[in-house]
Amino acid sequence: MDTLANVAHGFGVALMPINLLYCFIGVFIGTLVGVLPGIGPISAMSLLLPVTLSGTPESGIIMMAGIYYGSMYGGSTTSILVNIPGEAASVVTCIDGHQMAKQGRAGPALGIAAFGSFIAGTFALVALMLVAPKLASIAIAFGPAEYFSLMVLGLVVLTFLTQGSMAKALLMACIGVVLGLVGLDSITAQPRLTFGRMELIDGIGLVPVVMGLFGVAEVLLNTEQVIRRDIINTKITHLLPNRADWQASAGPLTRGTMLGFLLGILPGGGAVISSFASYALEKRLSKTPERFGNGAIEGVAGPEAANNAAAGGAFIPLMTLGIPPNVVMALLLGAFVIHGLQPGPLLITQNPGLFWGIVASMYIGNVMLLVLNLPMIGMWVQLLKLPYNVLFPLIILFTILGVYCSSNNVFDVYVMIAFGVVGYFMRKLGYEPAPLVLAFVLGPMLENNLRKSLILSHGDLWTFVQRPISAACLALALALLIAPLLPALRKKRELVALDEEA
Amino acid sequence: MSQCRRTIMLAAIGVLLSVAAGAQEYPTKPITLIVPWPAGGSTDISMRAIADSASKVLGQPIVIDNKAGGSGTVGPATMAAAAKPDGYTIAQIPITVFRLPLMQEVSWDPAKDFTYIIHLTGYTFGVTTSAESQFKTWKDVVDFAKQNPGKVTYATPGAGTSLHIGMEQIAAMAGIKLTQVPFKGGAETNAAVLGQHTMLQADSTGWRPLVDAGKLRLLMVWTAARSPNYPDVPTLKELGYPMVYDSPFGVAGPKGMDPKIVAKLHDAFKKAIEDPAVVATLAKYDMVPNYRNTEDYKKLVVEITESERKIIERLGLAKKTN
Amino acid sequence: MRSGGNAKPRLNNSELWGGLIGLALGGFVIWSGLKLKLGTINDPGSGYVLFYTGILMCVFATAIIVAAIAEGGPTLASRWENARWTKPALIIACLIAFSLALEPLGFLLSSIPLMLLLLRLIDPVRWSLAIPIAVLVPLGMWWVLKRLLLIQLPSGAFGIG
Repeated sequence: MDTLANVAHGFGVALMPINLLYCFIGVFIGTLVGVLPGIGPISAMSLLLPVTLSGTPESGIIMMAGIYYGSMYGGSTTSILVNIPGEAASVVTCIDGHQMAKQGRAGPALGIAAFGSFIAGTFALVALMLVAPKLASIAIAFGPAEYFSLMVLGLVVLTFLTQGSMAKALLMACIGVVLGLVGLDSITAQPRLTFGRMELIDGIGLVPVVMGLFGVAEVLLNTEQVIRRDIINTKITHLLPNRADWQASAGPLTRGTMLGFLLGILPGGGAVISSFASYALEKRLSKTPERFGNGAIEGVAGPEAANNAAAGGAFIPLMTLGIPPNVVMALLLGAFVIHGLQPGPLLITQNPGLFWGIVASMYIGNVMLLVLNLPMIGMWVQLLKLPYNVLFPLIILFTILGVYCSSNNVFDVYVMIAFGVVGYFMRKLGYEPAPLVLAFVLGPMLENNLRKSLILSHGDLWTFVQRPISAACLALALALLIAPLLPALRKKRELVALDEEA
Repeated sequence: MSQCRRTIMLAAIGVLLSVAAGAQEYPTKPITLIVPWPAGGSTDISMRAIADSASKVLGQPIVIDNKAGGSGTVGPATMAAAAKPDGYTIAQIPITVFRLPLMQEVSWDPAKDFTYIIHLTGYTFGVTTSAESQFKTWKDVVDFAKQNPGKVTYATPGAGTSLHIGMEQIAAMAGIKLTQVPFKGGAETNAAVLGQHTMLQADSTGWRPLVDAGKLRLLMVWTAARSPNYPDVPTLKELGYPMVYDSPFGVAGPKGMDPKIVAKLHDAFKKAIEDPAVVATLAKYDMVPNYRNTEDYKKLVVEITESERKIIERLGLAKKTN
Repeated sequence: MRSGGNAKPRLNNSELWGGLIGLALGGFVIWSGLKLKLGTINDPGSGYVLFYTGILMCVFATAIIVAAIAEGGPTLASRWENARWTKPALIIACLIAFSLALEPLGFLLSSIPLMLLLLRLIDPVRWSLAIPIAVLVPLGMWWVLKRLLLIQLPSGAFGIG
């Protein structure tokens, strides 16, 4: 009952007019930057950090948090409409979301993404209130060995993302790992595969790779088709998900939320892994897995729910231990500190008004986001009615701007163009970009944690089996790999062969 | 729109005037301050506070650009390679800018490629262990390490950082062997020591809330005097290691900056670290302003480089000349 | 449908070429890994993971090559059948020209011509529409970024933008 009193207190704080205003500004800016690919919450938050200094700590942090989860809502928009994932977590949304848009079902795709985000976000908050302190231990139970095994599991799950040949997907994954390792070695500070270029010391940026492989390559592929001048079917049947859509999405939403929340607690990579783990899970469970990749709404609902629930879960290590699990949370930590607060084990007891106020404001912010986003779906869908010969130069301009803004570096624009060309040839030869991107994100973590665990265990490989969490991840990975591999390989090759004959 | 047109006109006039009168009109546009650490860390937040205060003196905003990587060297190195010495791009200079060139091939020369502006402050470093750990004092660690060489693991925010070098130096003096596990920053080392994945953590004050909450135990600090926040925790000197590690830092621009611009920036940053609001933010990280003017900073750079060279050579980490 | 009986190694086979490129890349990665030092098992070096990833790449690439030889595959030309390959080539050329112009000319002076080229060369949009889009969209984005978000786009030698 203590919790109830706290929640009431929190809503008291959050419903103060000034805090409502800050909350609205936050989610509004968040939606804006979320829609613009490349300009992520990080740049918006670091720009606005000084602005928040003038208000009370509550209002400042409410606004910063609003930008964060607001951008999570917007992130799926460009993935669905024009196949440009703004961040790694939206890569999976591209696979089926953009196919849906091509079939004239952009409305339901955007709708289920918005509702899914809302449901998952709300659930994550309830869980955050009820179990936050208890779950803090999960965040620190994961050491290098556990992370390594989790990454192995993640890479195995990758193989479910592909529709074509398994060998090609695995080759792409390896290339992704290698690309991810470019730059200074995080352990010895030795430059790797940088070819003497200063810009590569910091590694290849995720945003240019993703925008090149998805956004630019998609444009190149589309423009070579003379018949499909209107790439997107202009017959738009309805704007919101219908009953059948909801029935198909209910299960994926629930499972995605649970998966996302639990993985979100883990510092580093939780949101990304959860979104594609959810996709893989739904594909496995589906009676008609062949629909995935061709516009299955489950493939949008599950990952979107997972990545928003992960955003909620990410608050747990920050609020309870003062450990920010990602860069955005680190900025939020900065906001706390500038306002004279120290997030850590004592935060909730020392500043109950602040903690519960922020959580309550996130409920309100989620409602605001839904109200803000649903009418916009109509607007976005109208955008697709633009003839493609007008739309594609705009897409190219936006990718260039997005890439430049993500790093303020012209070199990244070159990288994006290069990956656009490579991505075009990859797609022509039947190689898919999704495994490459996800391995690109997971690869460096895999490598770093492998080396750290070997240093810690003094070279003893048994450490991965002796530690229970690690062993469980590896066992699951092995089971996933062995069980479906043999029949799947055969079936998939036939599918590819059929495609080629046609 | 009129505001926009006015800005354009002002800018045009500014260009004309600056052509005519050199640095008289500086600054006429926002200044970029490169912070070579991730956003939200102790350096980032203290530099933001300092920049905010300095921008009021300069009358132009200072935009923070977080270019993290390479133990804090990627940002300054990029600046040295690419930025114009017009005073609109400056960078925070961590000690690794002087140290890394001694350990490996790098693209910059700390003696030639920068215009040093002002020295600002330094960090408070400390060594912690989990509250559930067997180690109650530093002596316990040394005793255990003597019986189990190499078994004691410690988490640092990166190879070649002051924490890594400092711990190796301590180990050499105590005659023990420790194993470094390099992480990427304070958040990761906190989690590592809290989950007892490593036995110790050597890092700057990011551990503070966890120490206050009793989840971590602070074994020693590396400052000259005891920290007012932790009067019971001994310093390195008290433990018998005659060293102080505070990894001092300042700001610099690319080589060849106009001395008038340097003077303007120096004055603005000097006012900033005297600003009580800035001092209060720094105090949250146990940082104390450590002002040195342009000339003294240049001398300090030479001194640091020399002392670092000796330490690196003694530890056998120096770059191989082939 | 092709079946096992009449499969013959065909050199003009896009699968084969894809696999060979993969094999070459794998070899390069192995070589880079070796050059960066493998280290030891209790302190793996910088090249450790690269080396083993390179080996895996070679394994997968070989699998692709074997499949290509055993089962055949579509020819390179067939991949571009019914496709206007000149159009993507034109876009790529425009993008390369743009990337060369971006730094010397600045964002505005390079993106407006880029937009104009893209709008007119591929599926020509009429001039009365192409010019306003090509001018107003980059200008608008530039204004939003510079004024509202304080992001400085490359301004080039002429200082425009």
